[in-house]
Amino acid sequence: MIPHIMVQAVLQQSVSGFYTDLVTRPTGRAVRENIERDLAPGTIAVMDFTGVGCLDYSCADEIVAKLVRDKVKVLLLRGLTEAHREAIQPVLAGAGLAVLCERPDGVLEGLGASEPAPALLDELVERRLAARHPGGSIRFPAA
Amino acid sequence: MTRLVEVPTQFDDRSFDQFAAAYAQATDGERLLFDAHAAEWASPYGLVGLLVAGEAAARRGERPLLTAPANPDVVSYWARAGFFREAGDLFEVHGKVPRTKPAVESDVLLPVTPVRAAEDVHAVVSTIQQRASAILSSELGLDPKATMGFAMALSESCQNIVEHAGTGGWVAVQAYNWRRKLARRVVVIAVADAGVGFRHSLEPTQAKRFGERWGDAAALEAALIQGTSRFRDPGRGQGLAGIRRYLARWEGKVAIRSGTARIAIVPRWDDDLPLKDGLPAFPGSQVLLIIPEQESGGGSSKQ
Repeated sequence: MIPHIMVQAVLQQSVSGFYTDLVTRPTGRAVRENIERDLAPGTIAVMDFTGVGCLDYSCADEIVAKLVRDKVKVLLLRGLTEAHREAIQPVLAGAGLAVLCERPDGVLEGLGASEPAPALLDELVERRLAARHPGGSIRFPAA
Repeated sequence: MTRLVEVPTQFDDRSFDQFAAAYAQATDGERLLFDAHAAEWASPYGLVGLLVAGEAAARRGERPLLTAPANPDVVSYWARAGFFREAGDLFEVHGKVPRTKPAVESDVLLPVTPVRAAEDVHAVVSTIQQRASAILSSELGLDPKATMGFAMALSESCQNIVEHAGTGGWVAVQAYNWRRKLARRVVVIAVADAGVGFRHSLEPTQAKRFGERWGDAAALEAALIQGTSRFRDPGRGQGLAGIRRYLARWEGKVAIRSGTARIAIVPRWDDDLPLKDGLPAFPGSQVLLIIPEQESGGGSSKQ
């Protein structure tokens, strides 16, 4: 079973005080360490950003980039706002990393560096976690 | 002995070096008197810069003195901007200071606010999103989505203090009409600290690479242009790069002064110099971000 991580809930567990913004390195580190505790290395995971307000570059690196670099095989993001994407995209691209993100219409696409994304999509399709639809789009989960 | 440090009548980033020159003449053990009685106006950059001078002066010797602006409107504005709430801890303040609380509904988007830890950055980001959204979109013509980018830029600016300064600092955000330069509304973020500065922070990892060129200017260049960080972690150095991207999108300006140098990414509406070296020494780092009202139809969507 694919772990589903509700980032906003993890944020509340990780820091004292009620915050909806993922800002600062220490906050990002606390959130990532909380997430890592329940993740097996090399896993495929879904992170849902619904309810997260501001995401800064430091947290994008501390959480998303470091999970992709050190912990997970495929990371699928959902519930992203445009502002979240703007924070995550350059951080991943600069590090040559990529994740998959689910658009509101359910289509999966790469975010970050362009080279690794097709292999991530193939991985999901091969494991039957996503399916190719007419026209070439890939959706998750497989219907 | 007491040394007088005059606060410029129009105190902003343009007149800051005049202030820094007066400050730099002080020697250890001298008590400083910061004289702002003739001040007519101060930008957020001036206000947080004055606090930095006060903190650094207190570290060097006796608690400094501050003469508050004589003009009731000016002193009232400084009070509403939250300046005296912070200054009271640093200076022996002389003059009539109104007991005004920092503004909650005005062009003061964020009063002068101390930044010492990550929790402070959270509070700043939360406050600014509540208050800046309307001004950024309705008055500056920025896409409403730009508010989040603004909060990100603010967060990263403040984190420079938490991560690199080795001490606390201050942030302030204001909106005002910039008649002199642009004849447009602007939002200004000023972040300042009296910490170790960019050169000291980056020296262990960068000095060798620059060789004889190493100094305040080279350190600023490494940080802002090359995106280097004192941390060897490969993901570091994202903050200033992100700020640059955000400001490029909205034709904004970023300038950082540290030690004896100042670097700026200069938009086409400004005639500032990209790099100045050999300035009067001033403690810590001072960051200035300016986002102007968009000329028509909002900002470009280009990155």
